[in-house]
Amino acid sequence: MTGHPANGLDDVVHQRVRLGILTVAHEARQVEFGYLRDSLELTAGNLSQHLGVLEKAGLVTIDKGYAGKRARTWVTLTKAGRAALRAEISQLKLLIEQIEGGGA
Amino acid sequence: MTTRAAGADENPRRLLADSRRLTRQVRAAQRATWFPLLVFSAVTFAAIPVYRLGRHTVTCRTVPQGRICTAYTTPGLVYWPIALVLAYVVIAGFYLRRARDRGIGTRVFPYAVAGIALAVVLFGAAFWAAHNPPDPGRFILGVRGATVLLNQLAIAGSAIGLALLVLALVERNGALVTVAVGYVAFALLPARDLGWVLAPVSPWFFLPRLLLGGALLLVAGLLFAAFQRPRRRGAA
Repeated sequence: MTGHPANGLDDVVHQRVRLGILTVAHEARQVEFGYLRDSLELTAGNLSQHLGVLEKAGLVTIDKGYAGKRARTWVTLTKAGRAALRAEISQLKLLIEQIEGGGA
Repeated sequence: MTTRAAGADENPRRLLADSRRLTRQVRAAQRATWFPLLVFSAVTFAAIPVYRLGRHTVTCRTVPQGRICTAYTTPGLVYWPIALVLAYVVIAGFYLRRARDRGIGTRVFPYAVAGIALAVVLFGAAFWAAHNPPDPGRFILGVRGATVLLNQLAIAGSAIGLALLVLALVERNGALVTVAVGYVAFALLPARDLGWVLAPVSPWFFLPRLLLGGALLLVAGLLFAAFQRPRRRGAA
């Protein structure tokens, strides 16, 4: 194991869609399934799979409820999710710095 | 660490760029700057009949530099704290309803709490100012003329401007910072510098400040509405 930033990346978070979900949930505090599906341009099934991975890892919580007669699913970032997102962003920045500095 | 295929989806530059784009997208969808501006404009215009129908108190004294007159309306002291608290309740309700409709959370609570706190401070400051007319020669805590500044800060315009600054920070909105700073500067401007002053003994002495302040907020609200409307449609 070396100190290369790539070694600090978390497989659960280091993925385009899952990083997107965490980013949106962090900025919005709480985000609805439909908003995530539209902004990430995913199918409902695909989004559900990624949410399942994040929920299993304890990075998000999923709450189902109703707004009037409409069923709605809300996704909220957990404390661990916030920390994982912060760690991923700083690792990405380090990685880019290394690449630009020719250290990769 | 597992071995992973470094596909285009895991390119660090692309991941970071996507993350920043999504952050901007969420912030744009959360913003509804026009609404608080239009509410504050309405509250400012609605103060005109309250001021006009209320009892005026004019205090004039002679100082070495000339004559200083202070005019205030008693209902104004009651109107602003109540009107501002109601305005924040309406604004918070609007943001929450909008967030629910759009499917994204909102950061309106720090703004509403700061706004209500400012309204309470304003009530205390206005009460103090009513008993301490501006006096350029008077010292408070070693500061000469502090009563002049404190009297200016005690007016409702300062509370609205400071609350707009809080909103600008909550929304991370650079354009609103400019509007809020401009509005605070306008609110702190002495009446004689507004370019339209009525004599303190006139029953309409308050009109220039309320009309100009309300108009500034109205124009800013309409401009934000015009600029934020296409984004709202795009984000919906």
